[in-house]
Amino acid sequence: MSEQVAFQHIEKTSLIGTRIKKPDAPAKAIGKTRYINDMVLPQMLYGKILHAGRTHAEIVSIDTSEAEKLPGVHLVITAQDTPDLKLGFVKDNAPLKDKVRCERDEVAAVAAESEAIAAEALKLIKVTYKDLPPVYTIEDGLKDGAPVIQDRFPDNKSLSFKFTHGDMAAAEQKSDIILDDVFNVHYVTHCCMGTSCAIADFDHNGKLTIYSQTQYPYNYKMDLAPALGIDPGDIRVIQPPTGGSFGAKLDVYPFEPVAAILAQKTGRPVKILFDREEEFINSPTRQPARMHLRTGCTSDGILTFRAADVMMDNGAYTSWGPTVPVIMMRTVSGHYRVPVVDFKGQAVYTNNAYAGSFRGYGNVQMTYATAQHMDMLAEKLAKDHNLDPIEFRLKNAQKSGEVTPQKSFLRECALAECLTTAAEASDYVNKLNKYTAERAQEGRYKRGIGLASSIHNAGGAKIHKSDGCGTILKMDDYARVTVITGASEIGQGIDAVIAQIVAEELGVPTEHVNLVNNDSDLGPWDVGVHASRTTFIAGNGARRAAIKAKKQILAAASKQANVSADELDLRGGFVVQDKDGAVVTKLDKMLRQMHFQPEPDVVMVSDYYEPNSEPEGRDHISDHSAAYSHAVHIAEVLVDTYTGEVKVEKVTMAQDVGRVINRMGLEAQMEGGLAFGLGFALSEEMIFEEGRLKNPSFRDYKLPTAPDMPDLDIHFIESDCAEGPYGAKGIAELPTIVVAPAIANAVYNATGIRFFNPPMTPEKVARAIWEKKQV
Amino acid sequence: MSVKTELNFTLNGRPVNIEVPVDMTVLNLLRENLDLKGTKYACGEGECGACTIEVDGTTINSCLMYAADLNGRTVMTIEGLGAGNKMHPMQQSFVDHGAVQCGFCMPGMIIQANYLVKQNPDLTREEMKRGLEGNICRCTGYTKVLDAVAAIVGAEG
Amino acid sequence: MSEIEKYIAPDTVSDAVKALSSGGVTILAGGTDLTPQVDAGRRSHAPTLMNIRRVDDLSGITQNKGETRIGCLTTVSEIKQSDLAPAILRQAADHFASEQIRNAATLGGNICNASPAGDMINPLLVLDASVELASWKEGAMEVRREPISRFFTGPGKTIKHDNELLIAVVFDTPGPDFVGYFRKSGPRPALEISTVSVGIGGDYKDGAFHNVRVAFGAVGPTPLRGKATEAMLEGQALTAEVIDKAARAAQDDATPIDDIRATSWYRTHLIAVFTEELLNNVCQN
Repeated sequence: MSEQVAFQHIEKTSLIGTRIKKPDAPAKAIGKTRYINDMVLPQMLYGKILHAGRTHAEIVSIDTSEAEKLPGVHLVITAQDTPDLKLGFVKDNAPLKDKVRCERDEVAAVAAESEAIAAEALKLIKVTYKDLPPVYTIEDGLKDGAPVIQDRFPDNKSLSFKFTHGDMAAAEQKSDIILDDVFNVHYVTHCCMGTSCAIADFDHNGKLTIYSQTQYPYNYKMDLAPALGIDPGDIRVIQPPTGGSFGAKLDVYPFEPVAAILAQKTGRPVKILFDREEEFINSPTRQPARMHLRTGCTSDGILTFRAADVMMDNGAYTSWGPTVPVIMMRTVSGHYRVPVVDFKGQAVYTNNAYAGSFRGYGNVQMTYATAQHMDMLAEKLAKDHNLDPIEFRLKNAQKSGEVTPQKSFLRECALAECLTTAAEASDYVNKLNKYTAERAQEGRYKRGIGLASSIHNAGGAKIHKSDGCGTILKMDDYARVTVITGASEIGQGIDAVIAQIVAEELGVPTEHVNLVNNDSDLGPWDVGVHASRTTFIAGNGARRAAIKAKKQILAAASKQANVSADELDLRGGFVVQDKDGAVVTKLDKMLRQMHFQPEPDVVMVSDYYEPNSEPEGRDHISDHSAAYSHAVHIAEVLVDTYTGEVKVEKVTMAQDVGRVINRMGLEAQMEGGLAFGLGFALSEEMIFEEGRLKNPSFRDYKLPTAPDMPDLDIHFIESDCAEGPYGAKGIAELPTIVVAPAIANAVYNATGIRFFNPPMTPEKVARAIWEKKQV
Repeated sequence: MSVKTELNFTLNGRPVNIEVPVDMTVLNLLRENLDLKGTKYACGEGECGACTIEVDGTTINSCLMYAADLNGRTVMTIEGLGAGNKMHPMQQSFVDHGAVQCGFCMPGMIIQANYLVKQNPDLTREEMKRGLEGNICRCTGYTKVLDAVAAIVGAEG
Repeated sequence: MSEIEKYIAPDTVSDAVKALSSGGVTILAGGTDLTPQVDAGRRSHAPTLMNIRRVDDLSGITQNKGETRIGCLTTVSEIKQSDLAPAILRQAADHFASEQIRNAATLGGNICNASPAGDMINPLLVLDASVELASWKEGAMEVRREPISRFFTGPGKTIKHDNELLIAVVFDTPGPDFVGYFRKSGPRPALEISTVSVGIGGDYKDGAFHNVRVAFGAVGPTPLRGKATEAMLEGQALTAEVIDKAARAAQDDATPIDDIRATSWYRTHLIAVFTEELLNNVCQN
């Protein structure tokens, strides 16, 4: 064997840009994967939470005695049994409430031997409420003498944000066109297919193991510990396979400490699992926003300023939702060259549902406004000043190396290339003009085309003190690689990407790379899976660790072969000569030789990668991401002007991905991300009446299904990011961010009507068309 | 608790004899009593398709069917489509085409896709979309799912 | 939780009907409506659960002496695929929920659930169908026929007595001149509870429309016939003017409400749109 291979030459090939299958897909496809929802621990009890079902009330009394008597019930707890724990961004939320502030409020909880018994016990808890005057709108919350939702915030104002840059009065003076519009973005929710679940289990030393769907296992410990009066070090977070997250699990929500408290007090594992209706009512939403946007422009088509005044319904508690202005303002100030900026954001407490983080994080909302304003300007400039709509955008598009007013450093900027690629591929300008001309003609069905673009952080977002990720890599005597990463896998595909990157560096098959993660006792620290960061941050970490391992192996091989390590490489499971691929030795043999010698040299390396970015400061002036990326979507729609139905027939997507790593996973993120934006644009809407959700089911909350998906023409623009792994940038949010305004612009092109308030449901579109006809 | 009834039926090729409360759903029987957790709960009202199984050769939402009605019938769940760790070609196609992300909806999606192809081996892409309309997926945007099914019927593109 | 004390699964119609005579029976067919309604607490079980899916001769479509008969256990999928089902009925079946639900849901179940939006009911109104209601009287099974247009009394309410089983739907097999179309709203063909549905049918011959029947779903407390629209269309040539008048008449026939799925304005608007669309289909047939 070894004699034969001695004459072999192995060519240098690369896995980067190829299609890598997700390692966990087979087990999922055959139904073998045990998701957290499927887990049963020995002696496990089932927890259920009593929700208030009213929006603002004092809790006069709670009588749990009948529930406690029900056979099979182990424990009933109320606010009195829970420590003075506060959750959330401003610590205004408690696991169990002593006052009701919104429909979902958790009032009591039960642990019982079955879900049915727990449900029965909830019915036996008698709560006496005294209703208080409610607040359901931002306006009512800001009125003098408005009912106070949170005592610490007597004026009902929670978070506020401000960023200004440049001389606004001068900019207005210079503007030939000023657009001034209000956009209202509605409530939507994540609808993870696997409903929310937590399983808590204490051991005899008081250490908690919590099986959780969390996306940020390491900081999660810090947020959860005070609930239980334990040290964060005494919490182990295990993240079993989960049915989607999309930002929904980026905070601690009350059901998690409730499960832990029930487990702590009963000494038994306790599982809380929502049914679909509970999931709708008790999950975070996307932050709704009323965005007053003003945009100025010269008659030459040069942007002069943007001013955005964003009012947000905070709901009753503060999770990540009302922090989204941090990202909104990056788009206002940094998408296209905006010399003068005025951004204000204010969240106001009400008795409504509250928002968390959600794929696209503020940028879905803000881009819905900015991209429509760009389209409105493009139309005006084309009509009055004969400026081509793509040329207008190109005039304002930044080039590589430019810095935005908030100091986002656009080191590699491919906005112009995204614009020209998408426009050419879709024949945008010709179709735009054709459909505009056809708009006035008779006919029930109208076609339209619409372009939208945005910017997003693509190299993490330093909102915590560190935005880093740790990696530990070891190789065994058989050249199998184990990578222990802090990065979480929640379905997005970092498992495939890390296997691919490590295999690329170490010259082994991807199947020989085992990933160990989703367990806080095993993995080194990571900030969490969010902000389009994991391929960039964890990918860089894995690559750096693999390079260290490779160096170690080549150093040992160089001694043995008596050549410089620079002249060696790892390919196809062999140590080879770099220049011609001539085999030096088998990799596993090399590793054994390193291991079994008087001074063993075993491959066990680690790395902590901290991206080259600056923390987001209070002044919002920092290069908060290690990379930024752009995407352009062009949507083509067919509008039934009678029924108001909008069929999105095709979307051309051009996105700066830096460099393609796993082509299949990248496409999958683009397609899935787009589907989120499609639902947001056309059909998804949480309907609230007086703070109560009226459509908590898939029957009436309409997610996109297979027939709704348009044909996609995806173009990857490779700007080769200096900081990213192999040049890659983070990619997962832009597809969700950009498509809705592209559809809105296309609907405008088809009908001549602007939709400032999504979703563009058939009824809303039909009504607007009908009203326009009446005038 | 409701009265029980005795059932004899065939599950993934093997006979099952079990007593169940007459108002238990097939979904709960599979998941809670028979430890077949590949079949998923995601809505409980027939809107999402995550619990899709085959009964007597046609697909149904197992969350809507009473287990009592299984007597004498033949059931196939995702665990019975392939053989142990050996994937059925449809499962393999889903893996090969990157259709599995979080994967939670996939057992139902794959069972339904397999049924559609059995019904009509010349399925067009439009017919696939219609036939998979009762299966919600939040991760994939369906594109790779359709690619996976198209590869099986030889109707790519 | 309502507890079921007894479970029966008769295999003959007479046993099933006999079992109903003692009262306190919940009938289980496809389960697609019953299960979620019980789960949501909108309905509770009677002491006896009777599974009628084991009754052999309640399934299938037959034609005899100018009459088409569809057994109550015939699934929506079976109707969708049957050459014996008139096109308008197959159109409704094709747009009914999802494939999985079509495979389980029965025609009898959809009728007895008596939703104003019940998609299979609309074409049956257009076909002027009758339902057969069987009960046990003095040691024998008795069957009465009632026109489906008189069957519904309100949302979830019908004239069927608790001791009766809806065993079949019957209607005159449409003749060669019969043309019928069904249309429901919704961006998706299927998984949409109808915001509104419209069905129109009649004999279209030599450019004129006769024996016209029009039905609307989800625009009132029950599925209903559009009497004013029918009167407007009867015997008429389908000119643009007649179609326009019929669309207005349809709006007068309907009494829709506002709910979370649509406003009354939109439902009224769609009634006219669909009426016009279907009449154009008839012309182009």
